[in-house]
Amino acid sequence: MSGPTLADLVLLVPELILTGTALLLILIARRIRGTPAAMVATVVAALVAGLASGWVVSSGTQSGFGGMFTVDGYSQFFKVLIAATLALVALLSARRIEGEQDSPGEYHALLLLASTGMMLAVSALDFLTLYLSLELITLCSYILVGIRVERPASNEAAIKYFLVASFASALLLYGISLIYGITGSTDFVAIASALSRESQVSTPFLMAALGLLAAGLAFKIAAVPFHAWAPDAYQGASAPVAAFLAAGSKAAGLAVLGRVFLVAFQSEAEVLSLLLAVLAGLSVVVGSIVALSQTDMKRLLAYSSIAHVGYALLGLIAGTSEGVSATMTYAFIYVFMTLGAFGVVIALGQRGEELEGYQGLAAQRPLTAALMLLFLLSLTGIPPTAGFVAKFVVILSAVRAGYEGLAVLAVACSVVTAFVYLRVVVLMYMKNSREPAPASYPIAVSVALGVTAVITLVGGIFPGSLVRWAVSP
Amino acid sequence: MNEYLGIAVTFLLAGGIVTAMVVLSSTLGKKKPTAVKLAPFECGKDPFSLPTGRLEIRFYLTAILFILFDVELVFIYPWAVVFSDLGVVGLIEMVIFLGILMVGFVYAWDTGALEWK
Repeated sequence: MSGPTLADLVLLVPELILTGTALLLILIARRIRGTPAAMVATVVAALVAGLASGWVVSSGTQSGFGGMFTVDGYSQFFKVLIAATLALVALLSARRIEGEQDSPGEYHALLLLASTGMMLAVSALDFLTLYLSLELITLCSYILVGIRVERPASNEAAIKYFLVASFASALLLYGISLIYGITGSTDFVAIASALSRESQVSTPFLMAALGLLAAGLAFKIAAVPFHAWAPDAYQGASAPVAAFLAAGSKAAGLAVLGRVFLVAFQSEAEVLSLLLAVLAGLSVVVGSIVALSQTDMKRLLAYSSIAHVGYALLGLIAGTSEGVSATMTYAFIYVFMTLGAFGVVIALGQRGEELEGYQGLAAQRPLTAALMLLFLLSLTGIPPTAGFVAKFVVILSAVRAGYEGLAVLAVACSVVTAFVYLRVVVLMYMKNSREPAPASYPIAVSVALGVTAVITLVGGIFPGSLVRWAVSP
Repeated sequence: MNEYLGIAVTFLLAGGIVTAMVVLSSTLGKKKPTAVKLAPFECGKDPFSLPTGRLEIRFYLTAILFILFDVELVFIYPWAVVFSDLGVVGLIEMVIFLGILMVGFVYAWDTGALEWK
C-alpha cells in the first residue's frame, strides 16, 4: 500500500487551506484575544479556499485517495457555497465578539474545521469518509453551540444537540454497517454495482438500511420528524452560530443526500423517493405551521429552515439529475437568504432576538428594515427575489416526477409561510416602536448583509445564472 | 452457519452459569442480612453521595488530555509494526499526524490546562 500521491493532495487544497488556518489560529489563540485577527484570517482563508475549489476542478472530474474522494462539478458547487457561508458567518460574528469577551481564536478555528468537514462530506465517495466528515461537522457544531459557557441556555442547547445528534450518528452508522453487510463495500460506486447485479433488491435488510441512512441524514438537515433539536439548538446558540448551522450544515447535508441517492442507490430510487417525499411533505407542513406561533426570532427562523429543507427535498425526490440540480439551486439561494435574515437579527443585537423587537424598525432604521423585508420576501418566495426562482424549480421538479399532490401541498404551505414572514413585516412597517433605536453595527456585518442582499436580488432577476453551475454528480 | 455455533454455545454457557449461580445461591445459601450487606456495593466504601453528584471539573480536563496522548499511542503502535513497509512516506505522514496533535498539546499548555490550580 502506498501513501497519497501529490495528485491526491492537490484535490485537497481547499480543505488543507482551511485546516492549516484553523491549526494556526489554535496555536496563537491566546495572543489574539480582543483583536479582529481571527476574523480576518478566517475570511481570507474562506475566500482563498473558495477560489481554490473552483480552480482545482477546472480540469474536470477527478478522484483520489483510492476512489474515496472526488472533485467534480457537484462538489465544486457546494464547496464554493460552503466557503461563502464560512466567510459570511465570520463577518457576521464581528458583532458578537465585540459585545462579549470570549475566545475568537477558538471560535473561528471551530468554524474553519466544521467547514472543512462540510467540504470533505460533499466530496466523499465512500461511506467511511462520509461518516468521518459528518462527525467532524457535528463535533465542531456541539462546541460552537455551547461556546458561550456563561449562558445556561447555551449549555442546555449544546447538551440537547449532542444527545440527539449522537443518536442520529449511531443510526447512520448502523445503516452503513447494514449496507456493508449486504453489498460487501462502503464505496458508493461498488455499492451501486453490487445492488444492480444481484436480484436480492428489496430484501428487508436493504429496506432497513435505507431507512436508517435516510433517518440519520434527515437528523443532520433537521427534516421532520427528525427536527426537534433544531429550534432549541438555534435558540440557545449565539445568532451567528445558528446562521452557520442553518445555512452551512443543511447545504452540506442536502449535498450528501443527493450524492448518496444518485450515485449509490439509483437502483432503489422508488423506495428512497417515497421516503424523501414523506420527509419533504412533513417538513413543509410542520415547519410552516409551527412557525406561526413563534415569538422568538431565532426559533421562527429555525422552523422556517425546517420548512425550507422540505422544499429543497422536493427536488431530490425525482432522483434525476434535473431534480438534483433543482435542489442545488434551492440550497444555494436558501443559504444566502437565510444568512441575510440571520444577519439582520445579529445586526439588531439583543433587540433582534424577539419578535416584539421589530416593532417600528422601519421608522428608526429604514435601510435595515428594507433589507429584512427583502430577505423575508425571498424566504416567502415572492418574485423578483431569488426565493421565487428556488421554489419554482423544486416544485416544477416535483410535478415532473409525478408528485402533483405534494406540489400542491408545498404551494399551499407557501401561503402559510407568507403569513409567518409578513407578520414581521407588519411589525416593522405598521407599528410604532416602544424602544430606542438600535445601536449601529460594525462594518463587517454591513458587508455581509450587502453581499447576501445583492445575491438574493441578482438570483431573482437573472434566474438562469445558476443553472450552468448546478451540475449533478 | 456452523461458525456461529461456537458463539451460540458460549452465550448459552455464559447465561447458564450466571443463572445457575444466582438461582443456587438464592435457594441454597443461608441468609443473614445486615445493614452493611444490604447496602449497594461501591469499591468497599459507603455510597454516601448520589452518583449524579458533582465532580471536580479538573479531573475531566486531565482525562481529556490523557486521551489526547492515548489516541496518539493507538495510532503509533500499529504504524510501528508496519513501519518498514511504509517507508519514508509513512514517516512523513506520522510526523504530520503528530504535528497536528502537538498543536492541541501546545494549546492546552498555553491556556494553562496543565496547571492544577
